[in-house]
Parts: sequence; structure tokens; C-alpha cells
Amino acid sequence: MIALTLLMTFSAVSANAQSKDRRKSFKSWDNYEITTEKVGVDGTKFVKVWGFGKTVDAATMAAKENAVHACIFRGLPGCATAMSTPPICPNPNTLETHEDYFQTFFAPGGPYLAYVSMTTDGVPSGTDRRKVKGGYKVGIYVQVMYDNLKRKLEADGVARKLSSGF
Amino acid sequence: MIKKIFISALSLFLLIPAATGQEKIKEVVTSDYNRNSISMVALLRGDSYDSQAASVVKSYKPSEKFDINDLKTKTVKAYKTRSESVYQTEVNEAVGKVGFAREILASIFNRDSNGMMDDKTVRYRGNYDAKDQDVINARAARVGTDALGDLGHALVSGSYIVVTDFSKIERDTDQRGNVHWSTNAKAFAYKIGLDSDSLNDFYEKCWIYDDDSDAVKQAKRVAFQNLDIPMIPVAEASSSSSASTLEEAMHSCISDLIFNLESRIPAWEVAVTIIGKRPLRAKIGTKEGLRNGDRYRAYSYTEDRNGNLRSVPRGFLRATEISSNSGMSIGETDPSKFYQISGLSNIDEGWTIKQSNDSRIGAIAGLKVGSMGTSIAVDLDYLANVSNVGTMSYAILSLGFDVADGNSNYLPIYFGIGFAYGLHLTRFIEIAPYALVALDHMGYSMADKSDDRFLRESALVLEPGVRAAINVAYPLQVIAKVCYDVNPEFIQGSLYKMYNQNLSHPHKSGLGAQFGLKWTF
Repeated sequence: MIALTLLMTFSAVSANAQSKDRRKSFKSWDNYEITTEKVGVDGTKFVKVWGFGKTVDAATMAAKENAVHACIFRGLPGCATAMSTPPICPNPNTLETHEDYFQTFFAPGGPYLAYVSMTTDGVPSGTDRRKVKGGYKVGIYVQVMYDNLKRKLEADGVARKLSSGF
Repeated sequence: MIKKIFISALSLFLLIPAATGQEKIKEVVTSDYNRNSISMVALLRGDSYDSQAASVVKSYKPSEKFDINDLKTKTVKAYKTRSESVYQTEVNEAVGKVGFAREILASIFNRDSNGMMDDKTVRYRGNYDAKDQDVINARAARVGTDALGDLGHALVSGSYIVVTDFSKIERDTDQRGNVHWSTNAKAFAYKIGLDSDSLNDFYEKCWIYDDDSDAVKQAKRVAFQNLDIPMIPVAEASSSSSASTLEEAMHSCISDLIFNLESRIPAWEVAVTIIGKRPLRAKIGTKEGLRNGDRYRAYSYTEDRNGNLRSVPRGFLRATEISSNSGMSIGETDPSKFYQISGLSNIDEGWTIKQSNDSRIGAIAGLKVGSMGTSIAVDLDYLANVSNVGTMSYAILSLGFDVADGNSNYLPIYFGIGFAYGLHLTRFIEIAPYALVALDHMGYSMADKSDDRFLRESALVLEPGVRAAINVAYPLQVIAKVCYDVNPEFIQGSLYKMYNQNLSHPHKSGLGAQFGLKWTF
């Protein structure tokens, strides 16, 4: 009985700590590289993005999250063949204002996955798959359904519609 | 003075490790590989062999991994007798007299007599070179797959010429009247000195459009003739061969030269990533000239604490099942299969593999003991085939010298040929049943000149056995063999029988064992 109580207490503390860790990393989520590859087909952005994780799969998922995060909060850099893209939510306070919304949006298996498709042929490979201290760093090509993502955030009241100012 | 010397020595001591460190950072093996194009050029010496040399070089067909640039100039001349080898500087001089870079551009862009050019070849090569990732990227981009042809422009800078020279050609006739030709050969590879800036410069200054005025067209023709693009020496290789005809010997040399150059020009070494395990698979095949048994080396990548990328060698593998990918990529290329032959870690998906040519010849040196005496044994094996499950077929040559009973007049020699079939329990251990047919020869009397003397001094021996090879540090292996030598008296020559009786340990049927080391070249 005592052992069971201890186990439950430990699990609760551990889950709480993980949640706090996630919140902390969620707010300081800015340390990733992203480049625009080419102009994507209509309504999409075609980018190469890097992610870090303990395994290659985890790093790949992190890279997908980063791609969507960049479209929402950072914007996409330009390249030789494509102009830069401004963020969907340019207001720096958006994340704090809608933190619960984005916690759900970017949760593992969350809605963000509907707006990003990996276009890497097979698994991340070659120099795009690097063993680093604590895990893997991978670079993947992804297509972000930018217009759909923007419409979703506007519909949910997170992003302002262009027409809202008039 | 002493102080200066001390400071210089100290600086050198400190700089060498720094320079080596920088070199290591540069040596990152990447999976970037694009098709290269070559043109074969013969070096003439102004003698009677020129026509054969030019003809053989012209008719040589390189591997499918290369595109061919058909140049107007197929020979250059060196003023040196064929009894001497040529040096790089002499070939540079001969190459410098011809505008090879201009000829390459004229060939790739189909330049006609009016100076008009097109990009059909470039676009074709771009489409042909495109990998699945390029096709997928093109589909995800607004430009679409039509833009794949643009990749061909980057291939122009991967144009090479290979200048081939034959020297020291000799003709020998043996006692039976058979003629043998032997020749030495050298190849000098040059790469076009064209970067993206100079290529853009070429498009701007030399590309004639239909609506250009006559004056502009003429100015562009002149600009093309005045193009000053160097050919940069990148590697050289040498070889020698002999055959019953000079053409055969020359042809054999060229194949060796290209094989050797492949190992010396990193851009020629095919690199690709592993896309699947069990069996290992990678998207290369006939288009890259891949053949069964070809050796590749695997690399993974790490970042050091400063963020510098490092490639880490992780073992070797050999091609087993080759896919036929000689066509345009549609994003679903069939992969070829591979079998891992060394390395502590299992080769994983996403790792890079890079061509690492070897001759597939293993040399074994060791000591053999048993019923056929105690001999120093030297075996050579040639890897003929590798299967998906790691079975390997070998052709074997075996040579043994019975040192225990030999003396200055008398050295029993054992010479055999055979076949081995290797089974891999793991990649570290190979068990290979084998069979040899051998001649055990005991030469003694030099006075006997009769034709059948050799046979009378020999015995036919059959040697079935099993060979075990264990990887120590590939390509070094430890070898142990157990065999049963069948040496029946009824197939022993008369002189052999007599000499054999004089041995302190006469050769006879029975068990034998051999231990040694094997190195694969």
C-alpha cells in the first residue's frame, strides 16, 4: 500500500515536472534553422527545416513542429528564387496570449500535423542526419499548407484577418 | 641565431597539428554525387604505334556512370620517344596547346558552325541525373518537374578529359613462336576550370540569340574563340599489361587506368544514402555502373561541440543485386541491394555509402602442415560473386613451397586452382568449403630435357577442405584451413615417386591444416 502511494506520488510529480519542462521549452522555442527551398505550389511553402530529438523519429517530428512554428511566429526567410514570408501571427505576444491554444495545437499528434507534409525521400539521410550530444539533429524537406494554416488560425481567432483592420 | 631557429621550430611544431586539424575538418565525405562527363584523348609520340594508340583510345567505352563529350580533338602530341615515360608538365604543355574547355562547351551545347548553341544535351543530362529527391522537390515547388533539366547546367563543371599515353611498348616471341606484346600506360585526368560565375559569363558573352544583330553575333563568336578557360590537372594513374596483340594490351591498360582514377578523383566516386535495411538498399544501379561485388564504405555523421560536421567510417559493404535504373527518375527508383562485410555497428538507414574500389583479390600468406609436408603457402582468391545473404564465390590460386624438405637443388612446389563458396555466419566470420586441383612438383635433374619431364616430376593432388576467415581489422583477416589431400600413387609421375621416397616426410594422402593472414586489395 505504501509502495503504491509512493509510486503514484512519484508519477504525479514526474508528470508535473514534464509539463513544466514542456511549458518552459515552449516559450523559448526559437532555436532552429529553416530555409526556403523554392516557391511552393499555390498555397504552400516549401522549406528545409532542422529538428533535434533523442531519436531520429523524435527529431523528425520536432522538425515538422519547427516548420509550422516558423510559419506562425517567425516567418520564412527568402532565397535566390523565393521572397521571404512574414509570420501569420506577427504580434510577439500572441504565444503568451493564446498559450493554452498552442499547447493543444502543438501537442504530440496535435492539429499542427494537418498542415505539414514531409517531402524528404525516405528517412532523413546523409549529412541531414547528424548524431549530436544527447540525440540526433535532422534536416528534412517539408511542404507547409500555409494558406490553410492561416485560415485555421484566423477562424480560431488567433490570427487577425487582413480585413479586420477595415 | 639559435633563438630564431628555436622559434621557427616551435612555430612549425605548433602549426603542423593545426594544419592537420584543418585538413580533418575538410575531409567530410558527403552523399552529394552527380554524373560526370569524360572525353578520352590519346597522347601521340610521332611513331608507328600512334595509329594503334589513337584507335584504341577512341574506341574505348567508359562505364555507364559517365556521360561522353564528343570532342573534335582526340589526340595531342608529345615530342618524346616512346621508350621514355612522359611527365605531367609535358602533358600539361600538350593539353594547353588545344582549347579543350572550348571544345567541351561546344560539344555540350551542340555549337554549330555559325556559333549557334542549344541546351538540349544539358537538359537531357539534368533530367537523367535527377535523383528521386530532386523529382519530389520539383513536384513540391511551383516550377514543377520541367525544371529538372536545369540541373544539367551544374553538370557542365563536372567535365573531364583523360589523356592516355602508352610507353615502353615491347614485342616478345617465345620459343614456340607465340608473340606477346607488353606496354606501360599512364592516364592524366584534367577537369574543366569552370565555376558558376564563369559559366554565367559564358552564357552572357557567347550565347547567340536569333534576334541578335549580325555585329553582336560576330562579337559573340569572337568572344567564344577567345574564351580562356583552363583545364586543371586533377589526378594521374599508371598501369601495364601484356597480351597477344598490342590492341588487347592497350585496352586492358585503359580499363585499369580508369579504375585507378576512380579512386583518386573523389567526384567520380559514387555516393548515396542507405534507404532500407534487411537487406541494405540504396538507390543506385546500372546508371552508376554498379556491378555485383563492388565495394562501398559506409559513413555516419556527427557534429563536434563546435558544430563542425564529421563523417565517421562505419564499415564496408558489397553490392549484391543490381537494379536496372538506366532511365529518367520518376521518384520511385528501384534500389540495389548490398551485404555488409565489416564494421562493428550494423549499417543503418540514412547513412551514406561511398564507392571504395578494390581489386576483389585476397592474398593469403601462411604455413601449411600435414601429409603434404610443411610448406609456406601463398593463396590468391578472386571474389566472383556475392549474394543477398552473404554467400560469396571465389576462384582460388594456391602455391606452396615445402621448406622442410627443400634444399638448393630441390624445392617441392605445390600449385593448385580451385573454387570456394563462402558462407557468412556473421559479417565477421566466413566459413568457405573449397576444392582445389593441384600439381605437386618435385624438380631435381636439370640434365633431363625431355618434353614430359615436368609431368613425370609431378603428381595430381585433389584438395577438398574448409576455410574459415575471421575479420581482425578489415581488410585484414585471420585464416585457418583444414583439408584432406588426396595424393594417390597411381597418378604420380615416375620421377615424382622416386624423389618423394627421398624426402624425410614423403608427400602422401592425408589431413592438412593451414594458418595465415589474408589481406584484400
